[in-house]
Amino acid sequence: MVPSKCRPGGARAGPSSVNNCGLQLVIQTSSVAERNKPFEFRINKDQSSFHNRLLQHDLEKNYSGKQGDGRFLTPLVRNKQVYVPVAANLADLSGLELKQGSGYQSAFGDSSVHTPTKFRTRQGCHSAGPSVSDNIHFGSNSSVTAFPIPHRVADEKILNSDRLTLERQKLTVCPVIDGDEHLRLLNFQHNFITRIQNISNLQHLVFLDLYDNQIEEISGLSTLRSLRVLLLGKNRIKKISNLENLKNLDVLDLHGNQIAKIENINHLGELRVLNLARNLLSYIENLNGLDSLTELNLRHNQITSMKDVDTLPCLQHLFLSFNNISRSIYHCFQLIIIYINLLSWAFGHLSQPEPSPKLPFHRHLSGDFDNILCLADSSSLSDITLDGNPIAQETCYKNTILHHMMQLRQLDMKRITEEERRMASVAARKEEEKKRESHKQMLLKEKKRLTIGNIAHQWEIQQNRVALITSSDQDKKDSDSCQINGSAAYVFPEETRSLDTILSDAVQGLSVLDSHLVEVEGDTLYLYGSGALESLDRNWSVQTAGTVTTVSFMFIEFDEIVQVLPKLKNRFPNSAHLKFKETNILMLQQFNALAQLRRIEQLTVDPQGNPVVHFTLWKYYVLFRLNHFNLQKINGSEVTQNDTIMAERLFGILAFVASSELPQYRLLSLLGESRKKQFCYLLEAKGKKSGIVSEESNDSRRVGGENANRAVLNYTTKDFQTEKFEEVKERKNFCQTYIQDLVKEAADINMKNESLQKLWPQMFIELVRDAVIEIRNKNSYMKLCLQRITDQK
Amino acid sequence: MLSPDRLSLPGPEYLAQRHVLTYMEDAVSQLLENREDISQYGIARFFTEYFNSVHQGTHVLFREFSFIQATPHNRASFLQTFWKCFRTVGKNGDLLTAKEYHCLLQLLCPDFPMELTQKAARIVLMDDAMDCLMSFSDFLFAFQIQFYYSEFLESVAAIYQDLLTGKNPNTVIVPTSSSGQHRFRQAPSECSPLDGVEASLFYQCLESLCDRSKYSCPPSALVKEVLSSVQRLTFYGFLMALAKHHGINRTLGALPDKGDLLLDPPMDQELEKLLSQVSGLSISTPSSSSGDITNLSARNSSRMTSPWKPLHHRQKVDIEGDGSTDETDSSEN
Repeated sequence: MVPSKCRPGGARAGPSSVNNCGLQLVIQTSSVAERNKPFEFRINKDQSSFHNRLLQHDLEKNYSGKQGDGRFLTPLVRNKQVYVPVAANLADLSGLELKQGSGYQSAFGDSSVHTPTKFRTRQGCHSAGPSVSDNIHFGSNSSVTAFPIPHRVADEKILNSDRLTLERQKLTVCPVIDGDEHLRLLNFQHNFITRIQNISNLQHLVFLDLYDNQIEEISGLSTLRSLRVLLLGKNRIKKISNLENLKNLDVLDLHGNQIAKIENINHLGELRVLNLARNLLSYIENLNGLDSLTELNLRHNQITSMKDVDTLPCLQHLFLSFNNISRSIYHCFQLIIIYINLLSWAFGHLSQPEPSPKLPFHRHLSGDFDNILCLADSSSLSDITLDGNPIAQETCYKNTILHHMMQLRQLDMKRITEEERRMASVAARKEEEKKRESHKQMLLKEKKRLTIGNIAHQWEIQQNRVALITSSDQDKKDSDSCQINGSAAYVFPEETRSLDTILSDAVQGLSVLDSHLVEVEGDTLYLYGSGALESLDRNWSVQTAGTVTTVSFMFIEFDEIVQVLPKLKNRFPNSAHLKFKETNILMLQQFNALAQLRRIEQLTVDPQGNPVVHFTLWKYYVLFRLNHFNLQKINGSEVTQNDTIMAERLFGILAFVASSELPQYRLLSLLGESRKKQFCYLLEAKGKKSGIVSEESNDSRRVGGENANRAVLNYTTKDFQTEKFEEVKERKNFCQTYIQDLVKEAADINMKNESLQKLWPQMFIELVRDAVIEIRNKNSYMKLCLQRITDQK
Repeated sequence: MLSPDRLSLPGPEYLAQRHVLTYMEDAVSQLLENREDISQYGIARFFTEYFNSVHQGTHVLFREFSFIQATPHNRASFLQTFWKCFRTVGKNGDLLTAKEYHCLLQLLCPDFPMELTQKAARIVLMDDAMDCLMSFSDFLFAFQIQFYYSEFLESVAAIYQDLLTGKNPNTVIVPTSSSGQHRFRQAPSECSPLDGVEASLFYQCLESLCDRSKYSCPPSALVKEVLSSVQRLTFYGFLMALAKHHGINRTLGALPDKGDLLLDPPMDQELEKLLSQVSGLSISTPSSSSGDITNLSARNSSRMTSPWKPLHHRQKVDIEGDGSTDETDSSEN
């Protein structure tokens, strides 16, 4: 199969020209000129002369415009040391053309190492190859079962004492080769051999070609210590094995087999070419130890991921076309990376989103091409093919690859120009920026998530505390229920529980996080945590404020919300849908507070953290109390006429009693300041008792929007209530002393009065007696009177 | 109208005993609170209105708990108001939990304590399975006993506990609310083997308690009636019997008999008006606005025909009402 041998005629005709073109030289055989010298199979690593031969095939392919698999590229292509020998060997050229037309290539797309053989066969017109079959006669031509013993014509034997070609002989077993111990090259291409045998005596064998046979297991090679080229393409091998003694192996071709795993080759320190194309590999692994490997062909497998590739110091050519390499792996790592980034961000390094190289995952951060980019470290790599992989479909595929693998000279069989490289780096930078942006977005999202988690956590703590406080007031039984209430742990919906350890670290780092979050998303304003309520003081743009139609409260005490409701009314006049979640709505009366808003069309009270929703009556109460809003939906379900009537049926009397039975002064005080005016007006109208109760008064009440009888049902927050109680208490004390004084005074007066009453009859009698005694003697009394008058004068 | 024994006590004590002072204080306090509004239509009118509402029992609406429980009359008024406002809930057949009843109570009295509601629920549920649903009437009658006689019940709990442990209950001082509570929490577990105390002994203790107590107690004759029907009984059994006893309910006079509990024709009439208003709201606004006026004018009418109120009770209320009105006049001058 070695061309130098096969093409003796041509070589003979112009050895120098052959050398010049270098095309036909598979093994640099300077001996071509001196034919009597023994064949010297020398592989020059530095020159990679071996590739010269292989290159030829590649060249053919390029010419034929096809991209086969079995391609051994050499730097020589680039170095322009190789070109078609136009002048030197026309026969070669014709051979090439012949091949082009034959379509042979397509049939054996993966054939690489053996191509020279083919080549030689094509060139049969002037090579010894075809004549082999003529010159050799098998001892037992007819019997296939026995081991055939080839008998060569003595002349031939002498000529090619070190090589034997037995291709297309329909051999089913290896023939016994006798007396040819010094044989160096053996070719069994295109036979039906199922087992490698009978060659263990060929200790000097350097080149063994078993391409296109039916071999199922690598065996019988343990004695061939000097073997350097082993071609086992297109066989039925399932497992790489029994190569332990072939320490000098230089080329190993296993393409077109059924190998599912790379193994048992770590000892092949001399191996430079490994062809595993068209196998069943899904992982690249176990490549360490292949210190000389320069070319690795893995085309047409199902490879999804790879490792160890960056441990190959000499790798220059890597063919990964038509595999399954995609960005998928990236996604597995993405979350971890986010957490790590977040961690660093939490500690204040957000300005440097570019990860430090020490981070173990930095590789994956660099882009979506991590799967491939682990190759970036392998500095020797100069040539890579990735076409036919999912990854190559990515828009930025080429740019990213080029950007990250500066040492690359050829990608997908195309040379890389400086221009391309520059474009790539620019594009890649852009891409990276974009990525950073999306990364930042993701960080923000993550931050939001964590903040909400944090708020939830704080809320939970707070709830527990509240529960404890209340429980201390009540007996144990009550406290139990409260505890349950409070400790109903808020489980944040999270799909990445597995990352909890990282998360918890991150959360610790984030303990300085805000305890609240405000967010406008579409037409919804989200408020998380009580601190978020302060945002209502902010200067919202008219536009933003106008678009907000839904306001969602989470993790905020309802009492706190109540205090900002007037602000909400003013800032977001269009808000018509209120959502409450984890807001501690416990009592029906709390809904009273919502009545002060301008309008509500929808109300959503999440059962989570709002025990009131478990009451059977809550919906009716809401309908009754917020009757003036004409609520459309409560918790997502439409409000029907029946609901409204039912609500009225249940609570109508309450409103009636409230309005009809309250003393007027209380009615006034219970109605807020705002409604007082209207109501006073109404009272006046009523006071007139004019038969025509003025229409206007009703109108004015309509403006208020709320039936007065309902308006009495107010809600005062606890703080306000206690405040009020303080005030009331003070007033009460005052009243108490005041009344006591009054009562005492009254009692005193009463006592005196009673005493007087008791004494009075006696006193009266005495007075009368005195008077009677005085006037008993009329004359003397007259005198006395006259005397008094004169005295006065 | 004036009871003859009013002269047997010195004035201030008499007034205090009859809670006249409480109302007077409250009236002045209210006056102070709503100074501006009241000044518009006259202090005299304010006092008239105030004591009228006290008389009718509507004065407890939306008031603070401390005021609501301050006098027996207030308690009875609150019970009546509660019944009146939420009778419809019972009529609708809804069974509610203690918490939900509590919410309803809080609609009328924002700071109503959960504790009382829970105790009432305990009577209904015999101190068991607190989250159960209760019917409106069960809860209401239990609540009546618990709320109206809460101090009495605490003392009873202490006595019961002492009887269980074999102590002489007569040495027992009327306990403070907190200590009483603790005892009565232990009660059920300890009483189970004996299953309660002997009824006659229990009655003796209660009788002496009623004599001593300055708080309102159920009439001892009725207590005797309750206790005489059984040999032994448990604490909650006793409370349950009290709650179900018609006589006691009549004595309190706040609620109608159990059979009539869901009936209140005048209110139903009003409700019908409201309903027609609601269902017709979307069609015609004028009808609804006239409905509003009806409401308001109904204020006066309902005041005249104060709803359901048994004779017995009315007498009691009148005594208080008149007494305080006298005082009002004097303070006004």
